[in-house]
Amino acid sequence: MTTSKIHDVCVIGTGAGGGVMIQELCKAGFEVVALQRGPFLTTKDFTDDELSTIIRDEVFSPDQLETYRFDAHSPSQTGRFNLMAYCVGGTMTHWAAWSWRFRPEDFRVRSTEGPVEGASLADWPFDYAELEPFYEKAERDFGVAGDAKGNPFGAPRKSEYPNPAHPNRVSSLRFAEGARKLGYHPFPVPMAINSRTYRGRPKCRYGGNCQAYGCPVQAKATSLSVCIPRAQATRKLDLRANAMVVRIKLGEDGRARSVVYLNKNGKEREVLARHVVLAGNAIGSPHLLLMSACGSFPQGLANSSGLVGRNLTFHLHPGVGLLIDEPAMGISGFEAHQAVDDLHASDPKRGFIRGGVVAELNTLVRQPLVYALQAGLGYEKAGRGWGAEFMQYLKSFPRAMTLSGILEDLPVEENGIDLDPHVRDRYGLPVARITHRQHPNDLAMLKWYNKQLLELANACRATQTWVSKIPGVTQLDEHTAMRGNLHFHGTCRAGLDSRRSVLDRWCRSHDVKNLWVVDGSFFPTAGGYNPTLTILANAYRVAAHFISEAKRASL
Amino acid sequence: MNEAPISRRIFLEHGAWLAGALWAGVFAARPRAAAAAAASQTPEVFTKPQWATVAAVASRLLPSDDGPGAAEAGCVNFIDKALAREDVAAKPLYVSGIAALGRACRSAFDKPFEELDAKIQDEVLTKLQDGKFSAWPAGSVGQSEFFEAVRTHTIIGYLCDPRYGGNRDYVGWKRLGYPGGRHSLGGYTPQQMLGKEAVRPVWEAGKEKS
Repeated sequence: MTTSKIHDVCVIGTGAGGGVMIQELCKAGFEVVALQRGPFLTTKDFTDDELSTIIRDEVFSPDQLETYRFDAHSPSQTGRFNLMAYCVGGTMTHWAAWSWRFRPEDFRVRSTEGPVEGASLADWPFDYAELEPFYEKAERDFGVAGDAKGNPFGAPRKSEYPNPAHPNRVSSLRFAEGARKLGYHPFPVPMAINSRTYRGRPKCRYGGNCQAYGCPVQAKATSLSVCIPRAQATRKLDLRANAMVVRIKLGEDGRARSVVYLNKNGKEREVLARHVVLAGNAIGSPHLLLMSACGSFPQGLANSSGLVGRNLTFHLHPGVGLLIDEPAMGISGFEAHQAVDDLHASDPKRGFIRGGVVAELNTLVRQPLVYALQAGLGYEKAGRGWGAEFMQYLKSFPRAMTLSGILEDLPVEENGIDLDPHVRDRYGLPVARITHRQHPNDLAMLKWYNKQLLELANACRATQTWVSKIPGVTQLDEHTAMRGNLHFHGTCRAGLDSRRSVLDRWCRSHDVKNLWVVDGSFFPTAGGYNPTLTILANAYRVAAHFISEAKRASL
Repeated sequence: MNEAPISRRIFLEHGAWLAGALWAGVFAARPRAAAAAAASQTPEVFTKPQWATVAAVASRLLPSDDGPGAAEAGCVNFIDKALAREDVAAKPLYVSGIAALGRACRSAFDKPFEELDAKIQDEVLTKLQDGKFSAWPAGSVGQSEFFEAVRTHTIIGYLCDPRYGGNRDYVGWKRLGYPGGRHSLGGYTPQQMLGKEAVRPVWEAGKEKS
């Protein structure tokens, strides 16, 4: 069924990138229809319950299904490898809210590092100076709390953060103490969580459970708590939840003409739009483009470069667990309150290029069920994950901390997603198949950082330390390789050369002139920080361009 | 529709971090266990002998020591209620696994599992975990697969919110030193975050001014 109304813009996906586009375009007066595969959850759906939220995943993505393989010759596994949220507001709904700016050098990795065998390094098609004002806008809209002078190695800034940094807890003071002992410069992680009442949203209660949970009080800034309400207030937004997009269709003029989705009852619906903005994340967006293959684009829509779905990067996370001699209070507050960037700068003398930010990261040790269930995997003195020794291990819960980081993995062209030829989802659609093998640089980087983190853990006066062997997160070898993550990027890379990139410098398809992709897919390289603030800032940048071009009627 | 059998191995290989997502892949989500039914302690899925076997296994997985273990937490009750609802897909695995364990123990020791000495029970469980209990009957569910399901379920039953029928009297959270989710109680104060002010656990929340 098609309605005859032609919307100005159809936005597919309502997370970080989609949310900002929806907000900005509605505010500028465009008629926007937004499609989201999941339901419209509210704060009532967000609780502290670990079993339903984390273990059974009943809240955010009960339908998610993917396959994974190392390479074209290895067998596929079926499961769920990436942490996503299928709901209005997207995966940002359960994000950890760490909000970094990438540093100027992160935008020109190919130029600074030169070619690296087996990697597909590329420069970004714009630089830090161009993104800087939009970083500032994103920080203001999302109320980032931080200390502008805290990180001597961070991106240069012209302004303070809109909100002051958050208070510390025992574990973050320990981290800072250990870091200073080693000559590092600890600073508060910039958080898109209110440290005071800000723009109608309340101050954080430090109740814990940020990452992988929805915030029950909306102190955490998300697309759901910030963008969607603002867009709705304009009355320009037609928001359709439970709308599973299956295809983008072209008109005879070669421009995107309509978007086809399945509604809650599985019935096909079609909406017409002058522009299509895709924001389905770096797995979902290329997946939809590949499903939208047609006569003009037999390899997938907007894929004349052959790079749709390629160059998937995940980030790497080193992991060192430690126990201290008092309750760490990691159950309160955020995943991390303190970080250091002293180890971030690229230095080939370390045996690898690139790097990342290092922080306390208590995700793994502040959830009772996760702490107990993961015990068998690398946590010494936990016995075999059961029995008398294990019962004693459980008592260590209050004293446990984790040190981790966000490390920049290198893009590899063969790493990516395509349509699985065998496995179908509940709609009968082919699921996204991840093909991914770490570059040797990644493994060298991970080993080095684990060593540094062990040293840091000891400097934090740890009574016990261990390297976390968490398959799927800490990939030590092929058997425990990275199958997915919480961060994913690169699968529709932006660039100036239409043969070597999917999107132009405005994240607009080189091939289809009214098709835009504004999630993390556009990242040519992954950066050594959480990606969301950069996705937000870029979406503001793209929206500003879209609006000014539309005014000139040159779209 | 999804035609692909979801590999239980994936859960076994991960077991952490993404365990949530993977667990859900193993046991498809079903309507929530009704709180009243979860608290009832009356078997809904297990027969009395099945209940006894699972209770005996759970008691060795999380033995009572200086504090309560799986028995006091009601882990078997949690599993019974979960198999009636959210984890109904795992029911055949339990039925087959429990029968196989009974047969294997009778064949090796002339006794069912629940009547063996604790030391022998631990040896059996170690072998199951490693997939090396030679008496395990062919044609049954895999022994390590069965072991991992019971281990995972028992731990969840020990540390879940009591409304699911386990963690009775919060014994699991008390062992951990976990006060429960604090959002509904107003979170933590900066003094509590620094360990300078006591945190009252949720089970004492009734005595707390809101």
